[in-house]
Parts: sequence; C-alpha cells; structure tokens
Amino acid sequence: MNASTPSTPITPLYAEGLNVVPSIEENVMRVRMSGAVEMRDPGELLTPYWNKLDEKARERALRRVEVDMRDLSFMNSSGILTLVRWITKAKSHPKENAYQLVLQYDRNVTWQRTSIPTLAKLAPDIVVPAEING
Amino acid sequence: MTMEITPVTADYVEMRFSPRWTYISCVRKFVASFFMIGLSDKERAEQISLAASELLENAVKYASEEESYLRIAIAKGANEVDVCVKNKAEKTNINTLRRELALIQAGQPEQVYLRKMEEAANTEGQSRLGLIRIMYEANARLRLEVNDSEVAIHAIFPLEQM
Repeated sequence: MNASTPSTPITPLYAEGLNVVPSIEENVMRVRMSGAVEMRDPGELLTPYWNKLDEKARERALRRVEVDMRDLSFMNSSGILTLVRWITKAKSHPKENAYQLVLQYDRNVTWQRTSIPTLAKLAPDIVVPAEING
Repeated sequence: MTMEITPVTADYVEMRFSPRWTYISCVRKFVASFFMIGLSDKERAEQISLAASELLENAVKYASEEESYLRIAIAKGANEVDVCVKNKAEKTNINTLRRELALIQAGQPEQVYLRKMEEAANTEGQSRLGLIRIMYEANARLRLEVNDSEVAIHAIFPLEQM
C-alpha cells in the first residue's frame, strides 16, 4: 500500500450513543471514536470489536494504530477496562508482529487528560498518549 | 429521608430515582453543568460528575433487589464538596465494598490503580475500577458509612486544593 492507495474501510460500530469508525490508510489504522461509552457492559460490545481491529492490524502487518478519542465526551470505568484488555492483548504480541497503539486525546476534557496517560503506563513500550488539542 | 452529609453553607442538590441505568448519564450531565456554574471550575465540575456517575453505576449494579430508589446528594460546604450515594445492599456486597475500600486506601493511588487494571484485564466480570478511579483521577477522598443494610458512600473533594 502506498500514499495514493485509498483508505480501506472496516465495518464501523454504531451502538448506544457510541460511534467507532476505523479505516486503514498508508499502513496506519485510524479509529475515530465519538459519543460516549456509558452503557452498563461496554465489554460485550467493545472487547470483541477491539479484538477484530487487533486481528486486522496484525493481518495487514500494520505498525501503528491511532485511536482518536477527542470527540468522546465520557468513558465509564467499564469502558476503560475494555482499553486495558486491548492494551494487554497488544502487549502480548511478539515484537515482529506488534504495533504501536497511539491514544489521541484532548487535554481540555478532564477524563481524557487523566485516564489516557494512566492507560499508557500499563505498556509504555507500545502505548503512546498523544495530546492533540482542537 | 435525610442524607447526613456535610452541613450546607452553599449549594445542595438531592435526587432520588429508581435504579435505572439510563438515568446515570442524565445525572452526570446535570451535575457537571450545575457545578460548572457553582464552582466556575470546569475541571473540578467534571471530576465531581465523574464521581457521581461511578458511584451511581455501583449503586445500580449492587443495590439489593428490593431497593426501589437510589439517592444522591451533593453538598458544597465551606471547605469541600461531598457527593453521597446511598442505597440498600446485600451483606456480601457490603463486605466486598469494605474490603475493596480498605485495599485501595492502603496503597499509593497510581500503583493501586495500575495493579487493579492489570488484575481486571485478566479476570472476567465487573471492572471494579470505579472507586480507585474516583480517588486517583478525580482526586477525591472516599468514606463509607454502613447502617444495617444501608450503605452510604461519600466522595469528598476539598475546595482548598482548587
């Protein structure tokens, strides 16, 4: 794949006030999240979905997955746990099959500024918190 | 029914509603807006609303089945804001809550939070990250009161830190 290759759509997730729209472009998977994660058991929905994205990233030998959470107004602690599980899975991949997980956040949103850098501490070698304002 | 919280010198909000999950989001947004105005501090208002939301989620999950209502009261006193959620619970759930609170209050919050995340990732079921998240991310102090089957949990935000 090169710079002129159009982005590859992956089935988005729209459910219970949450939108997750992934795409692959120039060997990078970009995942845009918007809405809020505040359902009772987000793991039922998100854990299998994150697993699919993980499989797709490794199948395509991607080295970078960017998750843009700037438009996510809230995530409850059960939602945080789904990201912890994704990070734990990504951390377990052998180096030749691993990717960097970039968590993009807005420092003006309090939960993002506190939760995202904390999540990155779980696996500092592969998780990068990226503060992007505006 | 009184909530027995910090004596009120300024703003006070009390809500009582059936334990429906969909109300939690509504309460969180209201609390954030209310304290955004009352404190003129967006960060603190969002921390208070996060605490309210996490405490209410626990109450809905663990309130005893015969419980018809949950109660949340938030009082802005002279030196602190006290978020209190009160509900009835089964004895086993109350004992679990006591142990959980003792555990998270015994360690350094960031280390406890990371350790609990790792433990939760490797086990099935509920995250049990809500209380430590309130302590670590929202910088609140937690206090538990148990009276028979009635549990009141407080998240207390000192105002002098603001």
